[in-house]
Amino acid sequence: MKEDLKRILAEAKERILTTKSLPDLQNLKSSFLGKKSELSQLMMKLRELTPEERPAFGKAINDAKGVLDTLITKMYSRLKDAEINRQNKDMSVDLTMPGRSLNKGSLHPLTLVWREIEDVFISLGFEIAEGTDIEDEFHNFDALNTPQDHPSRNLADTFYVENKQLLRTHTSPVQIRTMETHEPPIRIIAPGRAYRNDKIDATHSPVFHQVEALYVDENVTFADLKDTLNQFVVKMFGPGTKSRIRPHFFPFTEPSAEIDISCVGCGGSGCRICKDSGWIEMGGAGMVDPNVFEKVGIDSEKYTGFAFGLGMDRIAMLKYNIKDIRVLFENDLRVLKQFRNENR
Amino acid sequence: MRISYNWLKQYIDLKLSPEELEDKLTFAGIEVEGVEKTGELQKQIIISKVTACEKMPDSDHLSICQVFDGTETFQVVCGAPNVREGLVIAFAHIGTVLGDFKIKKAKLRGHQSSGMICSEKELELSDNHDGIIELPADAPIGTNIATYLELDDTVYEVEITPNRPDLLGMIGVARDLSALFNLPLHLSEPVLPKTQDSIENYLTLNVLEPEKCTRYTARLIKDVKIEESPKWLKNYLTAIGLRPINNVVDITNYVMMEWGHPLHAFDYDKLEGKEIVVRNAKADESIDALSGESYKLDPDDLVIADGKKTGALAGVVGTVGHSITDETKTIVLEAACFQYATIRKTSYRHKVFTDSSYRFERGLSAETCEIVSKRACELICELTGGTLVDGSLDQCSVELGGWEVGLRPARVKKLLTIDLDNSTLINYMQNLGLKFLRESDETLYFLIPSYRGDLTREIDLIEEIIRLHGYNNVAEKSRPQHIMNSELFDYRRKIQDLLVSAGFYDTVTLSFANPTDFDKLKLPEEHELRKAVRLINPQGTDSAILRTNLLTDQIKVAVYNLKHGTSDIKTFEINKVYQNLENEYSENYQLTGLMTGKMVEKHWKENNQEVDFYDLKGVCEELIEALKIKKLSFIPCTEPYFVPNMSLSVSVNKTIIGSFGKLNPSVAEAFDIDIMDFKQSIFLFDFNFTQLLEKSDKKPVKYDEPLRFPLIRRDISFVISTEHTIDSIKKHIQSVNPSIIREIKLIDEYKGKGIEKGNRSLTFSLIFGSAKKTLTDNFTDNLFNKIVKLLEQQCNIKMR
Repeated sequence: MKEDLKRILAEAKERILTTKSLPDLQNLKSSFLGKKSELSQLMMKLRELTPEERPAFGKAINDAKGVLDTLITKMYSRLKDAEINRQNKDMSVDLTMPGRSLNKGSLHPLTLVWREIEDVFISLGFEIAEGTDIEDEFHNFDALNTPQDHPSRNLADTFYVENKQLLRTHTSPVQIRTMETHEPPIRIIAPGRAYRNDKIDATHSPVFHQVEALYVDENVTFADLKDTLNQFVVKMFGPGTKSRIRPHFFPFTEPSAEIDISCVGCGGSGCRICKDSGWIEMGGAGMVDPNVFEKVGIDSEKYTGFAFGLGMDRIAMLKYNIKDIRVLFENDLRVLKQFRNENR
Repeated sequence: MRISYNWLKQYIDLKLSPEELEDKLTFAGIEVEGVEKTGELQKQIIISKVTACEKMPDSDHLSICQVFDGTETFQVVCGAPNVREGLVIAFAHIGTVLGDFKIKKAKLRGHQSSGMICSEKELELSDNHDGIIELPADAPIGTNIATYLELDDTVYEVEITPNRPDLLGMIGVARDLSALFNLPLHLSEPVLPKTQDSIENYLTLNVLEPEKCTRYTARLIKDVKIEESPKWLKNYLTAIGLRPINNVVDITNYVMMEWGHPLHAFDYDKLEGKEIVVRNAKADESIDALSGESYKLDPDDLVIADGKKTGALAGVVGTVGHSITDETKTIVLEAACFQYATIRKTSYRHKVFTDSSYRFERGLSAETCEIVSKRACELICELTGGTLVDGSLDQCSVELGGWEVGLRPARVKKLLTIDLDNSTLINYMQNLGLKFLRESDETLYFLIPSYRGDLTREIDLIEEIIRLHGYNNVAEKSRPQHIMNSELFDYRRKIQDLLVSAGFYDTVTLSFANPTDFDKLKLPEEHELRKAVRLINPQGTDSAILRTNLLTDQIKVAVYNLKHGTSDIKTFEINKVYQNLENEYSENYQLTGLMTGKMVEKHWKENNQEVDFYDLKGVCEELIEALKIKKLSFIPCTEPYFVPNMSLSVSVNKTIIGSFGKLNPSVAEAFDIDIMDFKQSIFLFDFNFTQLLEKSDKKPVKYDEPLRFPLIRRDISFVISTEHTIDSIKKHIQSVNPSIIREIKLIDEYKGKGIEKGNRSLTFSLIFGSAKKTLTDNFTDNLFNKIVKLLEQQCNIKMR
């Protein structure tokens, strides 16, 4: 019987080590270790031995089973690794074939600029105010200190609708509406549409976009205006961009100014965009005229304020190098696609 | 720390109820963490009179009494030896709860007893249970005993910030309250009793570590009688959570809690060498503390010793060796001041935290030693019958007296924006115990009392001013005025981003429109969208009105792009539309989008499909979900520009907020799309964005705990007449067991070969799950069969 055990063990080892596949190994496992295996049959024959011999031989059989079991486990992981390696090799594909697109669209360049302006001013502590496009003469002109006979009120300049109402010619009426309903301190911007009776061409559109800023509080100074403009310009067009203001006239600010920024095309050395001046006009600004404060019932001795208005279409055109304002309103998908990866 | 309302009232005439005071304390910077009412038990007990009392005939100790409580008379059987007629007693009615014992009507040996006459122990006043309480004859009958004995108190558990050790005593808190309410503080200077002899004949003092012990004072009181403290003293201590011990120890505790400065008393006769030495501990020195613990000392610990042995761990804990016992005749009263770092280190080193160490480690004033010493002597002589020995031993290494700080009223205004005149400022400061010295150079100069070590700079005084004036009394200088419509701002961006990520291009079109476009859209004469605002001076007919919709512009954008060679188009715009409603102009935001051509870019591995109605519906469902709009329904849409059977309207509470569908090819043709040549379907969605925002649920999501039990999936597949919609089939299925059927999902539709005309084959996947248990196979089979049966009955299905 001892001979039998030795033979079984040797034969099993040999066959396990030469197995080539996992199913074969599985079969070997049941034939060597299963209930009908030779080892199990040997176990049945234990009773033929003397009681003194039984324990030692029983242990020998169990040890043999243990040895085979360990060997099978080892062989199993070896065969499995080989199998996985083979599968991995089969998987190799042409990795240069294109990936699947997420098919995203894009925000409109004007929306991008709109959001950026909002975010810059929100970070400077401003709130966003909104007005209506259809306005009355009082809020669009009278309250902004515009004389009754001022040419801007003409039909040739301003669109009128029924009921003595008009399409606002600037976003400035939002200043008036905000000051009518809120006590200072007031810090707002009002982005939105404005309308002027201009024929559409490369630089003009009867419908355009403006952003208005208004800051009213005690001790608001001309220096604050300059500082806010500078901060805005740098955040919008990048470090190194400068802003300057020049004396000008608006009925609702005193002193009034026009805002220039250093040319985004050439950085100030002169190019076609800035017509070699190094500067680009961005909008109007100034300190709120005391007459405007009087119209809305704010004490102009206690409070001071600044206001400015910028053209958003113009900012978008400068920022993205768009030469014709009409491009913004055509919505050509070949154009819009180019803005897929812009931040905002 | 615990603060007693009654105790505070000794020093200040509080006009606030205990509840009101709680709030004021917190807003004065003394945060109340808990409030406790005392005397609740005693409040039930009524002062009553025994109007008649006779011995019970068959008992050796029981008496039958008649007790009058001010309104009624009760018969009570009482076993106390001292009960007698005419006695004023504490009476508990039927129903009174004493601890866990409720008084009930009883019969003792056949005699009715309705109530109980109480002993001190029963009222938790002392351990005395020898007899009933005998109240003075003039005690008011009918009043509850808690009120009479002033037991009803309110105790606040407060958190004192580490910069204010002066608030670690009742007087400090009262002083703050007096400043807060501008009420006088009643503080009487302690008066030293008559003295004899001289302390020099008894004791010498030697402070060897003057840096650690900045001041040490000692007084001697002879012939004291150590006994239990009087009731008032015990009441106060118990209320704030201290255990009464004996009169001398109780007095030192009481004065500590009153002034916030710890004291220590010890037995003179136990002092060896009749001297007090304040020194560093020696190597291998150890002490047995009063708490029963013993500590091995560090050479950095400061100890109070006599000529031979250690008496106390300075400022932290006393020892058994010098402790006061019932036999003590002469006591030494220590009032000292120790450097806070020394106390803190010792306290943490040995992990001993006492009321004394808690105060010293926050830094106390050396000046207060004198007043607490006098106050304790006054009380000890009064309550123990002792005699004060003349003089005191006093060794002090720091300069006493306060320091000067200047306050500029202009600076107060600048920092706090409140305008207070000089007399108000001076009054606030004086109420806090600061002395006004002079005004010069627009500055007010104050002498700061030494107990306010936290006030050394002008800014510290300004903090006190605003604390007393009230943080809430400063008007906000409001900056964001809520001018901004944040909802519109946030949701416009959210929806734009959602659509862009779904492949749509954001477009911007102008506000003008051509009135003939209404005809192209096939709008009937009275249609809402025809109510346009007209321009008086338009540039031309194609811009004669303001647009009432964005559909036209979206179609025109598509036309433009088709003409320029782009045929896969997905666009949208969120912008204003304008309407003339009975001569009132309205401006609203509209969200309109268009899709045509391929849904996604062609990928080599996929067949790319043309956009269909379900792509459109998916986008609309996604939008509605993103806005968290609940309780909506899809209803047939009647807009003339859509194909009737290929469009739906979205209704929320009977308001139509938008619609979507396939563009009527004849409309497309009107807009210049050659429909013979162009085979693509055009789909549009059109929502009133303002209304979408209104209907949207702004509340944050409340999470549902995932089911702890496994979900089971069963698929069901059947042939059914096309007259049954998916919605109605789902409703039928759900009705079988709404709480178990978690999800019903259509996964396949089949028409064609093998299916009779007018029928279709549908496959749903059903998910079952319970919140309470694992579903058994039996249960699931049953449920599935019920669903099949119901569908067979209601929809005449044939299972596949």
